[in-house]
Amino acid sequence: MRAIRLLPLLLGGWLVLPAHADDAQDQLKRLAQAEQQQSFQGTFVYERNGSFSTHRIWHRVADGKVREHLLQLDGSAQEVLRVDGMTQCVSGTLVAGVSNIPDSPGHGFDAAKLSSWYDIKVAGDSRVAGRPAVVVTLTPRDQHRFGIELHLDKETGLPLKSLLLSDKGQLLERFQFTEFNTAAPTDQALEPSGDCKQVEVAKAKPEAQKPAVAWHSDWLPPGFELSGAAARKDPDSKALVTSLMYDDGLARFSVFIEPVSGAAVTDIRTQLGPTVAVSRRLTTPKGDAMVTVVGEIPIGTAERIALSMRNGDAAPPAAAKK
Amino acid sequence: MSREALQESLSAVMDNEADELELRRVLNAIDDADTRATWSRYQIARAAMHKELLMPHLDISAAVSAAIADEVSPLKAGRGPWRTLGRLAVAASVTVAVLAGVRLYNQDEIAGAQLAQQSAQPANIAMPQVKGPAVLAGYTESNDQTPGPMASGVLQNQAGWHDQRLPGYLRQHAQQAALKGTESALPYARAASLENR
Repeated sequence: MRAIRLLPLLLGGWLVLPAHADDAQDQLKRLAQAEQQQSFQGTFVYERNGSFSTHRIWHRVADGKVREHLLQLDGSAQEVLRVDGMTQCVSGTLVAGVSNIPDSPGHGFDAAKLSSWYDIKVAGDSRVAGRPAVVVTLTPRDQHRFGIELHLDKETGLPLKSLLLSDKGQLLERFQFTEFNTAAPTDQALEPSGDCKQVEVAKAKPEAQKPAVAWHSDWLPPGFELSGAAARKDPDSKALVTSLMYDDGLARFSVFIEPVSGAAVTDIRTQLGPTVAVSRRLTTPKGDAMVTVVGEIPIGTAERIALSMRNGDAAPPAAAKK
Repeated sequence: MSREALQESLSAVMDNEADELELRRVLNAIDDADTRATWSRYQIARAAMHKELLMPHLDISAAVSAAIADEVSPLKAGRGPWRTLGRLAVAASVTVAVLAGVRLYNQDEIAGAQLAQQSAQPANIAMPQVKGPAVLAGYTESNDQTPGPMASGVLQNQAGWHDQRLPGYLRQHAQQAALKGTESALPYARAASLENR
């Protein structure tokens, strides 16, 4: 009832500024294509609660192949090399259970789909890394995702700055170029260092990789779909850990389910910059399980997802679509 | 919402130990006859345990609702649109009052009101950046100033299971997102920031 009373206010707000909506969609479409067509290199900062780091990116598009090399410039030399979206090598170790299967091409920025869940608008002009940029805001239409402010380069359409904002307008994380140019990187710059360890590339199609997972969700925030599922034995506890990943085209969250017995494990709710983690103990006919939801979504939503996980044979509603 | 979780929440509310989500859960379900019966039973059990006097079937909520319904609204005399606006104002002030008391998280009305505000003044979105580098992502207002347990980026005061598991889950989520993420360097940066402990 109260929601209905507020409806005129909401609709009024949307009608006031109908003008730039199409423009904003065009900007996002341009962004979706830009990384496939434009070579660039630059230095960016990433900031979230408790962490500030600087990184270098080399991105080259040549002969239809996209090569991208990322290197952290301060602290440990975190490094990634990607070719056509496939990760070739990373520094450090990948956590067991992470599979190297990229999303199908065309996934990613789908402006039309995103506009169902976000109010997309051009909010003005700005200047980032010495370059003129246009500001596009994605305001969530419900309370189940965070707002995003993108500063897109006017010349190339690439994101020069990206802010994640909570429903209260607090800044959760900042991604921002400090230096950016469109010169194609040299072969040398795209060569990974010796510390970059090869990653095994999964050859099979994602569909064939999806094992039968007994867990599904009774409730998902609107727009979120299952994008990956896996079950593996944890080497330490010998327990079967089920992991599911969902996204709405922009925001992502993972659900980890692990059987527990006996030990008093408390529920937990915590937030690390943009990423929340909620653990709830669920009782099922097959025994107790800890359900942990990790993702870039509001904590209340994560809690609701955790409480909605069910162990059963019913077809997972989100997986059925894919 | 499972029956069991609701009953736990009811019990917590009764003991004055409910958190905000639990309180909201109970408030949402309190119109339900079953829930009210459960609440009533819990009151009796509690009274018995505390050796208190209790009138078992005293339920004044109907009388209170009736009194509120009967009350003549001072805005009733006003014209149509103003009445609607008046109701809206009443709804808004009730929301504010509830918020002042409990600071409910994720209130639909708040999200709606903020969305409306932001739609009307898009410039606002760029504004609310807290000064200083350590922007805290707490989820209640009171967290704005005081650092939470994660402020240093290290898990503190957590039980053993979470010590072992949570960092792994956070990394797995971030790395999986980075491997899937073809749209920008952002998921990579998120994953890298977790390694910087």
